[in-house]
Amino acid sequence: MKPFLSILFLLVLAWAGNAQPATGSLLIKNGTVLTVTKGTFENTDVLVVDGKIKQIGKNIRTPQGVTEIDATGKFVMPGILDAHSHIALDVVNEATRPVTSDVWVGDALDPLDISIYRALAGGVTTIHAMHGSANAIGGECETIKLRYGTYDPEDLRMQGAPRTIKFALGENPMRSHGEGNGIVPRTRMGVEQVIRRAFSEAQEYMAAKDKYNAVKATDPTALPPTFNRRMETLAEILKGNIIIHCHSYRADEILMLMNVCRDYGVKRLCFQHTNEGFKVAPELAAFGAGASVFADWWAYKFEVYYSTAYNAAIMTKNGVVTSINSDSEELIRHLYHEAAKTQRYGGLTDDEALALITINSAKQLGIDQRVGSLEVGKDGDVAIFNAHPLSVYAIPMMTIVDGIVRFDRAKDADDQRMQVDPEKAETAFFLAQEHKNADHCLEDAFDFANELFGFERE
Amino acid sequence: MKKALCLLLAWVCLGIQISRAQGGTEEMTPVTHTYALKNVTIIQKPGQVIQKGIVVVKNGLIHAVGPNVAIPANAKVIEGDSMFVYAGFIDGLSQTGIPRPEPAQAGSGRGGQQQRPQGVERGEPSYETAGIMPQQTVREALKPGDRSIDDMRKLGFTAAQVVPNGRMLPGNGSLIMLGSGKTADDYIVKENTSLVATLTTSPGVYPATQIGVISRFEELYRQAQQLQAHTKAYAANPAGMVRPTSDRVLEAFFPVLDGKQPVYFLAPDVKSTARALALQKELGFQMIIAGVRQGWPLADQMKALNKPTFLSLDLPKAKKEDAKPAAAAGGARGGNRPGAEAAPKAEENAKPAEEAKPKDPEMEALEARRAAEMALYEGQAAAMTTKSIPFAFSAMNAKPAEIRENLRRMIKAGLTEDQALAALTTTPANIFGVSAMMGSVEKGKMANLVVTDQPYFNEKSNVRYVFVDGMMYEYEVKAAPKGNPNGSAKVGGRWSYNIAVPGQEAAGVFNFKDEGGNISGTWTSTTMPGENNMAAVTLKGNNLTFSSSIDAGGQSMTLEFDLVFEGNNFSGKVNVGSFGTFDVEGSRLGDPKN
Amino acid sequence: MKFKFGYITLFLCWAVANSLFAQVEKPVKGTFALTNATIETVTKGTLTGTLLIRDGKIAALGSNVTVPAGATVIDCQGLTLYPGMIDGGTQLGLGEVGSISLTQDADEIGDITPHMEALTAVNPNATAIPVTRVEGVTTVLSVPQNGLLPGTASLINLVGYTPDQMYAGFKGVVLNFPTAGRRGFRDQRTDEELKKETEKALKKLNDIWDQAKFYNEVAMAAQKDASMKPPYNPEMARVAQVLNGEMMLLVEVNKASDIELAIKWTQEKKVPKVAFTGVAEGWRVADQLAKAGIPVITGPVQAMPTRTSDRYDKPYSNAGLMHKAGVKVAIRTDQTENVRNLPFHAGFAAAYGLGKEQALKAVTIVPAEIFGVADKLGSLEVGKNATLFASTGDPLETKTKIMHLFIDGYQIPLDSRHIQLYHEFLNRTPGVRK
Repeated sequence: MKPFLSILFLLVLAWAGNAQPATGSLLIKNGTVLTVTKGTFENTDVLVVDGKIKQIGKNIRTPQGVTEIDATGKFVMPGILDAHSHIALDVVNEATRPVTSDVWVGDALDPLDISIYRALAGGVTTIHAMHGSANAIGGECETIKLRYGTYDPEDLRMQGAPRTIKFALGENPMRSHGEGNGIVPRTRMGVEQVIRRAFSEAQEYMAAKDKYNAVKATDPTALPPTFNRRMETLAEILKGNIIIHCHSYRADEILMLMNVCRDYGVKRLCFQHTNEGFKVAPELAAFGAGASVFADWWAYKFEVYYSTAYNAAIMTKNGVVTSINSDSEELIRHLYHEAAKTQRYGGLTDDEALALITINSAKQLGIDQRVGSLEVGKDGDVAIFNAHPLSVYAIPMMTIVDGIVRFDRAKDADDQRMQVDPEKAETAFFLAQEHKNADHCLEDAFDFANELFGFERE
Repeated sequence: MKKALCLLLAWVCLGIQISRAQGGTEEMTPVTHTYALKNVTIIQKPGQVIQKGIVVVKNGLIHAVGPNVAIPANAKVIEGDSMFVYAGFIDGLSQTGIPRPEPAQAGSGRGGQQQRPQGVERGEPSYETAGIMPQQTVREALKPGDRSIDDMRKLGFTAAQVVPNGRMLPGNGSLIMLGSGKTADDYIVKENTSLVATLTTSPGVYPATQIGVISRFEELYRQAQQLQAHTKAYAANPAGMVRPTSDRVLEAFFPVLDGKQPVYFLAPDVKSTARALALQKELGFQMIIAGVRQGWPLADQMKALNKPTFLSLDLPKAKKEDAKPAAAAGGARGGNRPGAEAAPKAEENAKPAEEAKPKDPEMEALEARRAAEMALYEGQAAAMTTKSIPFAFSAMNAKPAEIRENLRRMIKAGLTEDQALAALTTTPANIFGVSAMMGSVEKGKMANLVVTDQPYFNEKSNVRYVFVDGMMYEYEVKAAPKGNPNGSAKVGGRWSYNIAVPGQEAAGVFNFKDEGGNISGTWTSTTMPGENNMAAVTLKGNNLTFSSSIDAGGQSMTLEFDLVFEGNNFSGKVNVGSFGTFDVEGSRLGDPKN
Repeated sequence: MKFKFGYITLFLCWAVANSLFAQVEKPVKGTFALTNATIETVTKGTLTGTLLIRDGKIAALGSNVTVPAGATVIDCQGLTLYPGMIDGGTQLGLGEVGSISLTQDADEIGDITPHMEALTAVNPNATAIPVTRVEGVTTVLSVPQNGLLPGTASLINLVGYTPDQMYAGFKGVVLNFPTAGRRGFRDQRTDEELKKETEKALKKLNDIWDQAKFYNEVAMAAQKDASMKPPYNPEMARVAQVLNGEMMLLVEVNKASDIELAIKWTQEKKVPKVAFTGVAEGWRVADQLAKAGIPVITGPVQAMPTRTSDRYDKPYSNAGLMHKAGVKVAIRTDQTENVRNLPFHAGFAAAYGLGKEQALKAVTIVPAEIFGVADKLGSLEVGKNATLFASTGDPLETKTKIMHLFIDGYQIPLDSRHIQLYHEFLNRTPGVRK
């Protein structure tokens, strides 16, 4: 047996039981530093102390006890963010009703998922682990850091990251509920009304709660509204405390949700997939909504038939905060390459392209003060490549989270599973079909639908 | 296929090497209710042993214990030379005595789909459909005389906390005696010992996922808080206030809210353990994590709860080779046993003795990791001891036939026998607040005793007597028949056989072909379709052995028969891998000529 | 007056229609001189100078090329010429919209349907075809899916208005080799069940082989005696062509133990022409593949490892590891709408051990050789088809742009729906306000 993450494991032991995940200190020396936001610097060092970037500059003296990493000839960029992922989750969809704002995927994090390690090996340090798209209003999502090596899901959470929730428009909720269960929504008209009703009910719920709170001191007969988790979460959306991340494809439905949000005073909005975002880029920019897209996926269903790989470039050039996501355990392994495609399809600059998988994703998740670029004071999340990360030949060499090396190609052993079947040694072979384009937002919902109606996944 | 597996499992998993004596004493009117166990080694409690002592049982209680106590004249004396007496074991959480729910009707395709709610109701199902039944009680659910009671009793368990069937909130737990009774009431020692919670989902309706279950739990909890406050306020002064509506589900939470009842959270793996811990942190109820199979990675968090825990008696199935390398491989990943640098050792040890096969380094590495992981499961109990987390055991989801073997595996992996005994007796008695009644062999306590012919944790020990509430249950050990290498037998032809699986019919026909001493054969079973081939049929004297691999729903099982023939009858044993060994007997059918 | 006005309207309509018409670019055939170019021949090194296209062929190339009068001269200063890339396994042309089953033509009912012709169902007007070729992928193998013998794959050039015009001279019968692997993590079959199903499928395959052999014998006899003509049996007739060596057998196989078995099987059956496709775990048995001398079309490269215990980069390094062991390796995407990513799959393979030069070959000359069309495709040589492109640099590199494209000597407009949408929406009019 190879020393399985042996150093990491000692660290895991050290922090087990503590509330705060471990941080580390290290000095990355003499690399080409791609800060993304502040320019590119050659032969430059990055000093991380106790998990935070302390200094970026030339010839930084190595503080005592700080490990040096030689990055001569290498490219140092901020850890990559994936604004749309379903890895590290045991549950993706609670598909039993069109509004499930009561559930939260953070309750079912899977810190043992090997995909976490494989994403680290693609330079990814932070992901937005999302609920699926079976419901018009889905569950809350969770922003996590890829601190692989822990059994405790609490260690994965990115403390302080804003709450986010999944919404979904178009075919998926129509299929899950209208076609699948004979209830609204079966059309895009229905999707709108499901959301409007939910928001309105949440307003009523809030009003009842406010009224109760106002009189409870003086009126002993006053009663609060019955506690309702769905309404509690929706109320927080209306108050601006939760960012909506909405699965969407067509331009019309994107416009619809912006109109609905305007009517209810909701401002924090980011569209996911957004294949036809390019058609309404000026409107997205005017609203201030973000758009997180695939680099080039299209044609896997009708609502993505009129797509273009130039989507990210068009939106970027129209001032939309745009990111490129994976929605796939495979694509997440090479988001740097996905971002590079915007140079072929639309001629984005290096910084524009890199922003799509770093600072822009961070903005969409409300964590751009913490991650997404190499700046003093930000988290020590770093990806080191052997070549410029936008080159097809680039290989991620090392990935650092909070100043701790979580992936090191030089020391990488074959078997990186956290959990092993105690009854069976040989691991199962299966040919993943993940390379077939499809959004993975109906995971679980399909199992569910399959069971009930014999739906096939493809 | 599936059906065949079920049938097979049904008979193989229920038996162990002993069978209950015919006409067990509880079925006859006993002459006396006073017993004396004479000349026995009494393990009063862990670490406290009386050699060559006497235990007197009278009126359901332990009347006297000591090296030299008077035996009443009306006592039935049991000569216990070389026998061992322990306090009856207490199972911390299981469904012993609760009959399994009827499975959905077979052959209807997608089972039970018709009853599933459609449309809006799918998202808003009734409490019952959603698996939310915390108001269920054992008093209603227990079936007196259910087979599972004897299955556990003959392992030495005399009491158990049990819970009704269900999903996310199956009901209230109660402590029952594993004795005999006419009604459920007769069994119950202590009611409503816990509110049991699980992460079990409701297929096809809300909550269909664990995130739904967790959310729903919190919602119910908060609603219960509201209802309780409302009810109290209304009771104090109803004037001008809307009357609270009674809700049995929410009311079942009230003792939890008051801190009078703990939530027993069933956590069969590390992830559900983490989820239970997170939920407890959010809501602050008293929680005991139960049925823990994989708790070691979160031992620190479990310890911080400051509560005892119930470790599962279910372990992953052992490979034959594991017996040897397991101890050495312990903590091979260094994960939870600091200082254990056993990784290279594990690799060496994991190498099977098959020198003939070319070595595949990949398979060897994988095998080493598997063995190391197994060692962690087996070493969990010992690890909890090291962490000073008090624990008892839970038989939930454990197969009775495997429990004793699993205890031995835990002991082999570092748990001491005294620690194991404490987890089976004094610790659970303490947790349930019944130490004054049970948990040790002391005067005045309930006569809950286990009597074995060798120390309980020895591989070859047999449980000979179990006392529950002073009632004696006797278990007879059948000696294995001995073959005579100089004897002879004519085995050709058809033979009926009967396998003694307690409470089950396992019978059929052997058909041997004797071609000049070259014996082959096939066999059929009344419970399984098809004909099975025999392999490695060997006749030595009158001792016939053969093996047979059967395919039970895709799972291959090997049965090893060892039979002794005497004229037109035979008797012997069959070993069914980890399911255990069973007695077999049979006789010739029809013409002895081949 | 009225009459006059009508006239003007008519004229305007004609003019507008004409101008619209003019906007739709079509492939153009002619004589083209690509001058001042760097020429990456793939097989004969790198040259500089001119490449001359005439009558659909490469008429000349190098520094000593005389540009004939009337030739369209395209200055390729700063550009590099490459042979069109060949994707050795796709469903391009066989599917339009993934989730809409009635647009899917790759998977016919039945387990034994070797006579299903991919070429029949290739839609020359599939939206994905222009989307693919403008990225330099000019030739693809279009492959039927699922079942033991799903059909006959066809190599097509991505230009033409009929399948026959597109046909690039190779067909191969697809065999999905019986597998003991799982289809996905939802596949709950036990090991035992898998084993039994595999054995059953293998037996079925062997039966078919025996029948086809017999069919061949009968067909031979029928050449002398027409009365012996076997009844219409297109399945056997097609498999018989594989036995005869008229057609290549493309064996889709991925799991290591299946690959071993497939090697044994093809050797036992003495299949005259065979290539393995997929071969995801080829690295585990690379030496055996090399020893057997069976060429491999592997991919997708950007894929998940096949086992949770496998190193994360095995799908990237697989091609390189097989090549090092001496296996002839081509690369495919196994894609429909994103076959355009072929150069990136090759680029990943290059970075993880295959090397740039060999990776380029794996999408040009190697598949051409495997498919027996190396006399026409796969490199820039005189006499070969003028199927090539001029790019701003290394075609495997992500940001490289294709500037000129020729397939079969036709100059292909660099246009696709993706590009059209870009032009329409980059600076939308009206913007937010109308």
